[in-house]
Amino acid sequence: MTKDNLAAVLHGIEDLRLEQRPIPTISDDEVLISMDTVGICGTDVHYLTHGRIGHFVMTKPMVIGHESAGVVVKVGSKVRTLDVGDRVAIEPGYPCAKCVLCKEGKYNLCPAMVCCATPPYDGNLTRYFKHPANFCFKLPDHVTMEEGALLEPLSVGVHACRRASVGLGSKVLILGAGPIGLVTLLVAQSMGATETCITDLVQSRLDVAKKLGASHTLLLNRTDTAEQMQQRIHDIMTEEPDRAIDCCGAEISTRVAIFATRSGGIVVVVGMGAPDVKLPLFDALAREVDIRGVFRYCNDYSRALALVAKGKVNIKQLVTHHFDMKETAKAFETSRFGLGGAIKVMIHVQPRNTNNPVKF
Amino acid sequence: MKKDNLSAVLHGIEDMRLEQRPIPKISDHEVLISMDSVGICGSDVHYLTHGRIGHFILTKPMVIGHESSGVIAKVGSKVQNLNVGDRVAIEPGYPCAKCVLCKEGKYNLCPDMIFCATPPYDGSLTRYYKHPANFCFKLPDHVTMEEGALLEPLSVGVHACRRANVGLGSKVLILGAGPIGLVTLLVHVAQSMGATEVLITDLVQDRLDVAKKLGATYTMLLKRDDPAEEVQQRIHDIMTEAPNASIDCCGAESSTREAIFSTRSGGVVVVVGMGPPEIKLPLFNALAREVDIRGVFRYCNEYAGALALVASGKVDTKRLVTHHFDMEETAKAFETTRCGVGIKVMIHVQPRDTNNPCKF
Repeated sequence: MTKDNLAAVLHGIEDLRLEQRPIPTISDDEVLISMDTVGICGTDVHYLTHGRIGHFVMTKPMVIGHESAGVVVKVGSKVRTLDVGDRVAIEPGYPCAKCVLCKEGKYNLCPAMVCCATPPYDGNLTRYFKHPANFCFKLPDHVTMEEGALLEPLSVGVHACRRASVGLGSKVLILGAGPIGLVTLLVAQSMGATETCITDLVQSRLDVAKKLGASHTLLLNRTDTAEQMQQRIHDIMTEEPDRAIDCCGAEISTRVAIFATRSGGIVVVVGMGAPDVKLPLFDALAREVDIRGVFRYCNDYSRALALVAKGKVNIKQLVTHHFDMKETAKAFETSRFGLGGAIKVMIHVQPRNTNNPVKF
Repeated sequence: MKKDNLSAVLHGIEDMRLEQRPIPKISDHEVLISMDSVGICGSDVHYLTHGRIGHFILTKPMVIGHESSGVIAKVGSKVQNLNVGDRVAIEPGYPCAKCVLCKEGKYNLCPDMIFCATPPYDGSLTRYYKHPANFCFKLPDHVTMEEGALLEPLSVGVHACRRANVGLGSKVLILGAGPIGLVTLLVHVAQSMGATEVLITDLVQDRLDVAKKLGATYTMLLKRDDPAEEVQQRIHDIMTEAPNASIDCCGAESSTREAIFSTRSGGVVVVVGMGPPEIKLPLFNALAREVDIRGVFRYCNEYAGALALVASGKVDTKRLVTHHFDMEETAKAFETTRCGVGIKVMIHVQPRDTNNPCKF
């Protein structure tokens, strides 16, 4: 194994550097992974531009990146589920496994969660990365490393749809056609939604959504009121949606989600908005429209992998750009500014297709 | 059958009159009920004082009253489940039974719901009243007519607890400042559904003393401007664990905020109280910790469960009845309720205990 552990380290706002880090030593239950592909997420960009998200504040240099896949090069003595050479997707957060929330299976809410690239914990845009084996998922040969990295946002979509109880026959309204809106659309379809309507302020994003199979797309105007948006949604859909997933998080999109949802339905808010939001709560309460948040994912990674492995969702289409690790700064710029119609930008720590039996 | 169908009719704001009405004719699926006991609810009083609640506006004279019980005097030709002489509690609202919501079992949300004493439909404070047989519940001999009438507010409590997923081991926070009757019902229902700890908060010490006597595990006095974070800390100090279900009986912005902050991650906040149409909420806190926000609208398939709680002795609603009036004293009964001197005021359409094999 070479001693090269090049890592992309965020030192402060707008200060991302490629530098060497020690190769980590693994414990009995961990594996060492030779990283292959890392996708860039909006939160990675946000740490670059703001140095913080909410109360997660960067106080020391931190390796960036959390949507990733790689190849196992070393296994801890107690690891039973993985072998050297296994290609794995990495579920980036691992909990304490001891507290009440962990015992109840809601480990995503564990107060002691260690999550890649969430201060103070290092991410995995690095040549070598260590992780608990039980949060690494072996990829079948026909699933590419890029798809492995995409399991992270896809799991956000799976978790959102599960929290929304999307099932056979659901009519799902999705607000926002960014990457999260798109993966939510794909998952909702695979979970049995019979009608989907996706909204956005940008036509090109809706064009992608249409190609991915949305029943309806709806271009909204910034000047529309929530009531007007609701009316247009009800006009275009054959029935009122019984599920709404707000992948935008702006006050107006959550308002629209509430107004538009049928009585007895569910609104899930994925997007992160302002701390305090003014909502037509009475409307939601009196019609028993439930409001549910999501925090990352929980026992969703293997489900997401199953969807990809069985060909039920085609997420390859979401990858628009590829960069080598040495071009990390350019990759972030592309993602940040949506250059060239960027949806998901991939950073290759190893040359493309090195570890893809089936080429991407 | 006597031709006397004395009814308490609301003609307008502060204009309640006792007058004769025709005895209703029943259809094949209905029963005619000789009314016995009718409790007064805050909403009845509100119609008296304001002539409206939200978009339900009194536009013609309306019989008041919806928490009631009586004795079957006549059965429609297709009625199988009831006989003349049966003592019944009346679930006051009946739906269309045809729309999608009804077919899905969420009949409380039926847009065509016909509900006693909600304009334009007449209530049941009358000598003779007709109702669909499948929304009348036969009372065992040992359950009094007063308890039959009280099944209505008890069902509100049952529905709220079910919506809050109260079950074995639940830790429940109830934010009061509503009618103490509802709050104490909630305590009992929650406990009978398995809650091991119930904490009630309120702004008024007297109400807390009553709540304590009536079975709350803990009570906590709040001041109007206590900061939510401080309240949360005090709640967590009193209860052995953070509550996983919070029921806000107040619906004010401050109480819903407190409920959200205080509830454990992954828990549920149910808002029962009717507050302003729009409120500002710490939504991000709720969303990021997956604390669900759910409203309630009346009840749905809960009357039978509520009856079972009373019939088995698990919940004692008798102690909530503090005042009894004859129908001729209806005005005085409403006055008493308005002054807030008691808990539940009962109006007797027939002399007390006429239809109680076990005396009240």
